[in-house]
Amino acid sequence: MATSRDDFGIAIRSALLQRGARQKFSLFVLILISIAIFLLDYSQLKPVKVLRSVINDGVYRISAISSSPIKFTSATKDFFINHLFIYEENKKLKEEVEELKKNKLSNSFLQTQNKKLQEVVQIEEKLSFTTVGAKIMLDKNSPYLNSAIINKGQNSGIKLGMPVLSKGHLVGRIVEVNFVSSRILLLNDLNSRIPVIVSPTGEQAILSGLGDQKPSLEYLPENFELTEENSVYTSGKDGVLFSGISIGKAVIEDNRAKVKLFTDPNQIFLVNVVLDKATDLEAM
Amino acid sequence: MAINIKKFKNDLLRLVPLLFLIYICISEFHTQFYMWKIFSFNLQFIIIYYWILRDPSIIGYGFVFLCGMINDVVLSLPLGTSAISYLFVSLVAAYVRNATVRSTMYTDWFTFIIAIIIGNFITFFLLTKFTEIEIEYSLVFYNSLFTFILYPAFWLIFELYKRAISLRTYD
Repeated sequence: MATSRDDFGIAIRSALLQRGARQKFSLFVLILISIAIFLLDYSQLKPVKVLRSVINDGVYRISAISSSPIKFTSATKDFFINHLFIYEENKKLKEEVEELKKNKLSNSFLQTQNKKLQEVVQIEEKLSFTTVGAKIMLDKNSPYLNSAIINKGQNSGIKLGMPVLSKGHLVGRIVEVNFVSSRILLLNDLNSRIPVIVSPTGEQAILSGLGDQKPSLEYLPENFELTEENSVYTSGKDGVLFSGISIGKAVIEDNRAKVKLFTDPNQIFLVNVVLDKATDLEAM
Repeated sequence: MAINIKKFKNDLLRLVPLLFLIYICISEFHTQFYMWKIFSFNLQFIIIYYWILRDPSIIGYGFVFLCGMINDVVLSLPLGTSAISYLFVSLVAAYVRNATVRSTMYTDWFTFIIAIIIGNFITFFLLTKFTEIEIEYSLVFYNSLFTFILYPAFWLIFELYKRAISLRTYD
């Protein structure tokens, strides 16, 4: 028994301290260095944060370059798939155009009516945003975080918490800002929580990421019944995100209120980071 | 001259596993397949475990540490998290190498469970105790399960590759 314990001790000690012919450090030394780096990063000291920011920018650039063959392959595949279904898509689009033409007339009437009503209740018309365009540099999923990296950072006025839009719909918010890059926490990440409002009824809820494609609606009133007409917008209750940004359509799945996002966060390529609400003049 | 070219080719072939490891850490190489929801695996664990166990001269501990650091930056984890996890996977592999006389695919596969458990436990512990990142336990479990299941397939590929480069070296 004692011999087997000794053998274990010798084997572990040897594994920890032994160095190969071409190795400069033993495992033990490297584990100690890793723990020291972890503690330094955890301390959140300002010089460490600045250093991490510089490292992040550098690594993200290299990552973006090294990922280009993967992106090219994926884009080529999408290109061929799109071409295969182009005839059907064209037919469908023609039908949609006809439908939209019909809706346009009724919309213009509703717009006029809405403007008049807003004048009556004196609501400020500030639904446009000042944004900065950015490109997705890196989009790598892990069991721990669903996030994407964009090629704009502090230099473009981006700050923590700013909402990120794709095709005009919310896809996430900024959780890390470096000098020339930032990280977006996507709406479907487990750590994402966004206060929302369910239209047209006006119920407040929290949109929580579940790690899959459809985030769930939580803290809805008990007797609330979802219909297919329900859309979800940001409520701006947290004081960080602006209100009225469209997110998706409410759906019931697995007996749970979920949201089918208008923009799939895993298919985004170009995004807009909302810097501020634009004034009416800017919006024009 | 001819000998130099041959040596260069051999050295390059020996570098391939290391370059592949660095590439999957730094690039958008997906081992998390979103469309199948639960299917994901940790290819880094497999590469590190196999090569540290079978031929530690191919991937040095220093590069394992470096890959861990790169992985942390790319995935936005606290610096050092993946490095500690990968180094402990290397520790298990180095221990198994020292403790066993003749290893087979089955012994490697069986001991790989311990490496996966220790590696994932360290990541899990550091993230839950020192950060506010929420972890979906089921995703981590499935990730570990598929990493374990897929090990023999990669073992076979790496074994064939190792034999090919050994044959070239002693050619």
